[in-house]
Amino acid sequence: MSVGCRLAAVGMHHALGAGLDEIWPRLVAGDREGFVERDDLVPGSRGWYGEARGELPPVADSLTEFDCRNNRLAESALQQIREPVQAAIERHGPSRMGVVVGSSTSGFAEAEAAFRERESSGSLSPSFSLAQLEFGGLSEYVARSVGATGPRQAPSTACSTGAKALLSARSLLELDFCDAVIAGAVDSLCRLTACGFSALHAVSSGLTNPMSVNRDGLTLGEGAALFLLTRESDGIQLLGGGESSDAHHMSAPHPEGRGAEQCMRAALADAQLQPDEIAYLNLHGTGTPQNDAMESAAVARVFDPSVPCSSTKPLVGHTLGASGAIEAGFCWLMLDRRGGDGAMPLPPHCYDGERDPELASLALVAPGEVVVPPRPAAVLTNSFGFGGSNCALVIGDPR
Amino acid sequence: MIPVRIAAWGAVAPGLDSPADWQAWARAPRPLAGECRPDVKFLPAMQRRRCDGLSRMMLAAANACCAETERADVRSVFASRHGSFGTTVSMLEVLAREEPLSPTQFSHSVHNAQAGLFSIWAGNPELAQSLASRNETFEHGFLEAVCLLSREPARRVLFVTGDEALPEPVSSLCDDPDPPYALALVLDRHESDGGPALEFDLSDADPAARPDWPGALEFLRWWLVEEGELRLGAGPGCFRFRRAP
Repeated sequence: MSVGCRLAAVGMHHALGAGLDEIWPRLVAGDREGFVERDDLVPGSRGWYGEARGELPPVADSLTEFDCRNNRLAESALQQIREPVQAAIERHGPSRMGVVVGSSTSGFAEAEAAFRERESSGSLSPSFSLAQLEFGGLSEYVARSVGATGPRQAPSTACSTGAKALLSARSLLELDFCDAVIAGAVDSLCRLTACGFSALHAVSSGLTNPMSVNRDGLTLGEGAALFLLTRESDGIQLLGGGESSDAHHMSAPHPEGRGAEQCMRAALADAQLQPDEIAYLNLHGTGTPQNDAMESAAVARVFDPSVPCSSTKPLVGHTLGASGAIEAGFCWLMLDRRGGDGAMPLPPHCYDGERDPELASLALVAPGEVVVPPRPAAVLTNSFGFGGSNCALVIGDPR
Repeated sequence: MIPVRIAAWGAVAPGLDSPADWQAWARAPRPLAGECRPDVKFLPAMQRRRCDGLSRMMLAAANACCAETERADVRSVFASRHGSFGTTVSMLEVLAREEPLSPTQFSHSVHNAQAGLFSIWAGNPELAQSLASRNETFEHGFLEAVCLLSREPARRVLFVTGDEALPEPVSSLCDDPDPPYALALVLDRHESDGGPALEFDLSDADPAARPDWPGALEFLRWWLVEEGELRLGAGPGCFRFRRAP
């Protein structure tokens, strides 16, 4: 079963912009300009949000029943990879192109507007359809937008959704159900998640500040990252993945990071790599007291303290289900944009610099830091979600 | 085609609970209307209080077919078209009135709530996936379970699928049948030690005509009483199930 799992192309749209050429320089510069202050999401409360920067395209003309912000974000990411996707469909046929694109919000924002309308007029707004609100509406939209007729499903496991989507897509390739798969995740800002995290007292009063002694919660964001996965064995590869459950609590992680450690070790074993072969680790790093405490402890048990780590949530916000796919997209970009000498600029860990002495010590990436990993190189990214759903991915050069 | 064995199954729907109930229903299907609140006394009281209708149904179906020894380390797939939709709608109503959300309701409304509750109840640290695919949710959940089986053929997979009836005001927006139900299957690849086996694949053939039931119930009815091949899906192409020769 040793077929390749090539991450052949990726499209992204979030607070760092739309398209890789726009996102890459802002990512390594630690650009935080994408955050905006809004008071329309949580009643009586102003807060910072990582809003997708720039215009969103409309949904495809023939698919207006799917029109919602979430699907417009999906369309934006999809347009960036449409060319290689169409080439793969022409080469293999539409029934061999699968779609595994998930979400934790889908069209909640439009549903909220429809229910507000019902509160005043007595009935839901006529433009509202179930296709906007269903998670499966997202995967169907993506499939129909490109004309793919293979398997199409929307994983939804809270904040691990996007990472797990890539592993489900890999299985479809390995087992020969598909020759190519569009995989990733999309989430959009809405009242439901903003009010929900606020009710859990999980939202930072300012911008999120992961691993700091002053950290006080997450900053919400939105975005999309969609990959084209193929069975080719060259290019940047999805080398491995590990999944686990905390079996502990619905909204709080296991305090010692038991499930986090288990999924990182499983990902390394799946990729057949040793911890010291990982050149960079993208943290889940939400900036909540509980996440950062358990994640730093788990990382320190698995890796040498010298492995460079950063959370990119201070740059785009916590994009919930999309975060695993977006952070895999950042890992892909770093590997793709290596210089001729193999030098790999790292996304800086942006925070107030006041490290929490109670946390296990990690090598947090400083602005401008560059590593030169030997080829083949590999990096790892963590995602942890409600329900104790954990996933780690290893991405790198073919072995 | 890929061989799969159904090592055990359990299902609940209004008025249907035991295998004998389901056998009778499969021979003469009748509408499944009304409430489905199965007994979940097997759950600790604290967890029972946190269960909405879908969680009760899915965990009751899982409990009916997954032995205690197996629960703690089985890999699982949870598939639901709408998830905890009653909870979602009640939160949308709360937001429309500009009232504060309940943090517990919010954290239990995620699509993987049932997978999370299962792992906590069973003390199960293994992989759990949850997904949706509109009116092909059962089919894609089964495919995901088959993928997990194929990656590690020596280990079983628990597949749980189900939905609540859609609440007002959204039920009128859905054209597909939506009775409340949950079905759980323990799947393995043991090809030699007996037990009824089936084969599964994707096909370019057309699916059957528009089904009367959600995919899971079409499947269960076929499995219990029908011969021949079952083709599910919204097309183009279909998910094909066959009894192993």
